[in-house]
Amino acid sequence: MTYGLANGPTMIAAVDQDLICAIATPPGQGGIGVVRISGIGAKKVAETLCAKPLKPRKAVYCEFTHQNERLDDGIALWFPQPHSFTGEEVVELQGHGGPVVQQRLLTALCAAGARIARPGEFSERAFHNGKLDLAQAEGIADLIASTSVAAARAALNTLKGTFSARVNEIKDNLVSLRVQLEAAIDFPDEDIEILEQAGVVEKLRSLAEQLQQTLATADQGRLLNNGIQVALIGSPNVGKSSLLNALVGEDAAIVTDIPGTTRDLLKIDLLINGLPIRLVDTAGIRSGVDKVEQQGVARARAQMTEVDLVLLVVAAPDLQRSQMENLVAEVQNQALAQNLEPPKILIVANKVDLVDQSVHIPAHANVAVSALTGQGLDDLRAAIQKQVGFGQDNAEFTARTRHIEALKIAAVQIFRAQQGIEKGLATELVAEELTHAQHHLGSITGELTADELLGKIFSEFCIGK
Amino acid sequence: MRYPEQFDVLVIGGGHAGTEAAAAAARMGARTLLLTQNIETIGQMSCNPAIGGIGKSHLVAEIDALDGVMARATDQAGIHFRVLNSSKGPAVRAVRAQADRALYKNAVRKILEHQENLSIFQQSVVDLIVEGGRVIGCKTQMELDFYASSVVLTTGTFLGGKIHIGHEQQPGGRAGDAPSNALAKRLRALPFRVGRLKTGTPPRIDGRSVDFSKLEQQPGDEPRPVMSSMGKRQDHPSQTACHITYTNELTHEIIRDNLSRSAMYSGAIEGVGPRYCPSIEDKVVRFAEKTQHQIFIEPEGLTTTELYPNGISTSLPFDVQMAFVRSMSGFEQAHISRPGYAIEYDYFDPRDLTYSLQTKALDGLFFAGPINGTTGYEEAGAQGLLAGINAARKVQDQAFWEPRRDEAYIGVLVDDLINLGTTEPYRMFTSRAEFRLRLRQDNADQRLTPIGSKLGVISSARQRFYEQKMRELAALKKDFAGNCIMPGSDLDQRLSLGLRKETTLLDALRRPEVTVETVSEALGIETSNEQAITVLRQLEIETKYAGYIKRQDDEIAKIRRHETMQIPEQIDYLSIDGLSNELRQKLDQQRPASLARAARIPGMTPAALSVLLIHAKKAASL
Repeated sequence: MTYGLANGPTMIAAVDQDLICAIATPPGQGGIGVVRISGIGAKKVAETLCAKPLKPRKAVYCEFTHQNERLDDGIALWFPQPHSFTGEEVVELQGHGGPVVQQRLLTALCAAGARIARPGEFSERAFHNGKLDLAQAEGIADLIASTSVAAARAALNTLKGTFSARVNEIKDNLVSLRVQLEAAIDFPDEDIEILEQAGVVEKLRSLAEQLQQTLATADQGRLLNNGIQVALIGSPNVGKSSLLNALVGEDAAIVTDIPGTTRDLLKIDLLINGLPIRLVDTAGIRSGVDKVEQQGVARARAQMTEVDLVLLVVAAPDLQRSQMENLVAEVQNQALAQNLEPPKILIVANKVDLVDQSVHIPAHANVAVSALTGQGLDDLRAAIQKQVGFGQDNAEFTARTRHIEALKIAAVQIFRAQQGIEKGLATELVAEELTHAQHHLGSITGELTADELLGKIFSEFCIGK
Repeated sequence: MRYPEQFDVLVIGGGHAGTEAAAAAARMGARTLLLTQNIETIGQMSCNPAIGGIGKSHLVAEIDALDGVMARATDQAGIHFRVLNSSKGPAVRAVRAQADRALYKNAVRKILEHQENLSIFQQSVVDLIVEGGRVIGCKTQMELDFYASSVVLTTGTFLGGKIHIGHEQQPGGRAGDAPSNALAKRLRALPFRVGRLKTGTPPRIDGRSVDFSKLEQQPGDEPRPVMSSMGKRQDHPSQTACHITYTNELTHEIIRDNLSRSAMYSGAIEGVGPRYCPSIEDKVVRFAEKTQHQIFIEPEGLTTTELYPNGISTSLPFDVQMAFVRSMSGFEQAHISRPGYAIEYDYFDPRDLTYSLQTKALDGLFFAGPINGTTGYEEAGAQGLLAGINAARKVQDQAFWEPRRDEAYIGVLVDDLINLGTTEPYRMFTSRAEFRLRLRQDNADQRLTPIGSKLGVISSARQRFYEQKMRELAALKKDFAGNCIMPGSDLDQRLSLGLRKETTLLDALRRPEVTVETVSEALGIETSNEQAITVLRQLEIETKYAGYIKRQDDEIAKIRRHETMQIPEQIDYLSIDGLSNELRQKLDQQRPASLARAARIPGMTPAALSVLLIHAKKAASL
C-alpha cells in the first residue's frame, strides 16, 4: 500500500488536530468501557450523542443515543483544551463497555464527524502538545510502530473473503470509470468515446448501487445491529437444544429425547462473556419423513450460511470422524453453492458425561461439553468469544469499522459524481468526486497512483500523435 | 584562455529550457551568458511545430505568469489556435497553437537579444570546471573557459545522442546537428546516475505532393484564443488550417511485414520510449485490432510547404517509410522531405536533484529539460524558468524558490521528477495534478505573478497589467455582491432566476444555469469587450468552484503544517527502529527537509510518518 503519492487528499499524519476517537480501556470485558474523543469539536460531537450540555471536568450522566437508538448509558466527561491527556479538547464517554457497544459508539461518533484514531495517535498528540516528556517519546514511537504492524495484519485479516471480493470489484469498476473520464480529459484528440456513449452514467449508477449493497450487507453491519449469529447444527438427538438451554440457563427450547423435536428455528438473544449473541437452534439434519420436519431441516440448512459461527454439535459417545467431516463439508458446500463466505465452525462434542474421558477424549472436537452436568460450558463460551473475533484484542474489529467508514465516504462521493453527471456538471468536477472516492477506497485496497492510472489509460486506448 | 568577464549565471543550451533559464536569470538582474553550439538554432522546435495542449498550455501559462518567453513567442508565431476541452471545465481547458518554426525561432531570439543583462556566445561546451564540490564554470571546444557562480545545463537530447533509421545509426542530437559527446563523456564521470531514453519523429512531407482534397480540413477556432495573458490577436501572423488523414489496413500490413527492420524491434535501441507517444510500429503491434489510426497533419510554417504528419513517428528504414506513407489517403504521391528517425540520448536520474533543480552532487549546478528525463517544449521551458530563477537566487544569496504541487504545474513536475524519477520521457498530464481544480490556466497569473514579483522576475509592464486585472476583478465582485435582485424584477426575469426572495447577483452566479453568457447579455456587456468578459469569467469560476477549492484548501493546510515540521539534517535515519529497512534507506538517501516531503516518499505510511516526526522532534531538541 502506498500513501500520499496518488491523486486525491494527501496522507493524514501527526500534528493534525482533526477529531479522532478510540476505545481507551483495555480490550476484553471490563466493568467500564471508555471511549475517548480528542480534537477540535470533541465536545460538540459528544453532545450530539449525549443530548445534554457538558460542563468542564464535570461528570454528566446521560444516555448515549444515535439516530434515536439507545446505545448505552454512562458518564460523559469534558476536558477543555489544554488540560487533558492529549492537550487538545477531549471528551470521555464512560459506558458499560463490551466491545460491541463500544464499536457502536465509535460508529456513531464517526457519523458525527470524527475518525477512528490510528494506533498510538492519542499518545502521539499528547507528546506533541508537551504532555509527555522526551524520555517517553521513543517508547511512543515504538508503540506506534508495533501496533501499526498489528493493525495492518488485522486489516489484512478482514480483507479475506467475500467482503474483500466485493470491495475489490467496486474498486475495479471505479478505476475503469476513472480511466474513461481521465482519458477523455487528457486526450481529447484521440477518438475516445464521449462519456454518454461509453455508458458512464449507467456505470456510475450501478457502482452506487453496488456500494450501497455492500454497505448494507457488510458483516460489520450485521454484527453490530443484530448481534453475532451462532447456529446450533447437528444430527437429531445430539443434544443441541439441551446445549442451548444450558447456555441460556432456562428452558427456552423444548427438549425431549424424540429425534426431530425442534422442527422450526428457535432464536434466543443472550450475552456470552459480554458479547451479544443470537443463538439459533435448528432441526436435526436428517432425511425426515414428516413434511413439517422437512421444512425445519431446509431452514436449518439455509441457516448454516447466514450465521457467523456454526456450533456443530455431535454426541461424544458415538463420535465418528467421517460423520463429522460430512457435516463440515455440508456446511461449507452450502455456503459455496450460494457464493458466500463459509461461516466459522466449532465442533462441540456433547454428552461427555456419558463417556470415559480417559479413553475417549474426542480428539476431533474443538470443545467437549456436557449440557447435562454443565461440564465444559465455560470452555465453550470462551471458544465462542474467540471464534467471533474478540479474543485478546479488537484490532480486527476496529480495522473493519475503519473500512466501513471509508466505504461510506466513498459512497457519498460516488453519489455526488452521479448527481453531477445527471445535472450536466463539468467533466472535471465529476472526475474530482471520483478521485476522492478512489482515495477513500484506497485506504482499504491500496492507492492508485497517477502513474498507474495513466498506465491503464495507455494500455486501454491507443494514445499518441 | 579565460574569458575576461566573470558571469553570475551560465546557461548551456539554447533550446526551450535554456532560453527560459537565461531570460529569467537576466530579468532578475543576474549577468547571464547563454552558450549554444549554434546561435541559428536558438528556440528551435525539434519535434512537432505545436505549443500547448492539455496540461502543457497550463505550464505555458505559468511561464507566462512569471513573464517568461514561450507564451509571448507563441503569440508572435502561432498560425493556428484551438481551445481544447472547452466543455469539460475551466481547469482542464487548454490552448494549443501551431507555430511557424521560423517565426517562433525569430521571436525567441528577438526576446533574448533585447533582454538586458543577457549575452549569447556560440561555442560547444566540452567540460564543467569543478572546484571543491562546486561548479564554477565551463570549458568550450576552442579552449575558452567561462566562469560564473551558477551553471544551468540544458543539453536536451544532445548528450550522447544517437539517431536510428532502420538498422542505420549515426551520432546526432537532432537531425542535422551534432551531439554533445565530449560533454556527455565528462558528465558520465561525475557522480550522477545516467540512463537512456528514446523518442521519435515522423517523416516530413512536402505539401506540394499531397492531395489535400482527400484530407479532412481542421481550421483554427473562432474566436481565436491567445496564449499569453497579455497577448493580442493582432500579434498573430496570418492563420492556416491543419489536416487529418488515417492509416489503413494496407499501411498496417506494410509495417507488420517490415517489423524486423525497425530499429526498435530489432533490439538496437536500449532507451525507453514514452507510452503516450508510441511509434507507428508500436501502435500497429499493440493495438492490432484497430483498423486505422488518425494522423494529424501540421503545417511547418507559412513560408514552407513542408508538413509534419503527427502520429507516424518511426524508426523503420527509408524505403518502408516511403511505402507506408504512400499507402495513406492523400499521400499517394507524397514526397518525403526528411526521413523519420528515433533518437536515443542520455538523461540523468532526476532523483539526484533538489526541489530547486540544483544537483545534489555539485553545488551551483542546475539541470533543466530532457536532461532530467522529460519531454516536450513546455516541460523544458518550465524547468528552465525555475532553474534560471534559482541560479540567480543562488548568486543573490537568497533562498530558492521551490513551488509546491498545490501552487503550480511546475511544482507537480519537479516534485514528481525528484521524488519518483522516471522510466520514460516524462510528460505533463492534468491527471498528475491532484489539485487540478485550482491549477487552472485562467488563474496562473493570480497564482504566480505575485510570487514572481517578489522574486523580481516580472517586468513592470506585466506587473501593471496584473494589478489592473485584479482591481477590475475586485470591483466586479463588490459590484455583484452589492447588487440585490428582487423577485420579479427586471434582472430576475432576464436571468430567468424565478426568485422567491432577494438574492445578490454574486449568489445568483453560483447557479449552474447562470453563466458568463447569460449575465453579460442581461447586463448588456458587449462580448467584444474582451477584458470585461475575461474578468467576468474569472469571477464566475471563482464563485462556482468555491466549494471545491475550499475542500482542497483544507488538504493543503494539512500539507503546509507538515511543511513547517522541519527534519533536522543531522538525524540518523538508519537508527530509527520503528521504520522498515526499505524506508530507512530511502529516507537516508533523500534526506527530506520537512515532514511534508517525507510524506511524498513512495512507501511512506501514516504510522511511519508519526514515528519519523517523534524522532525529528527528539533530534531537534538534542
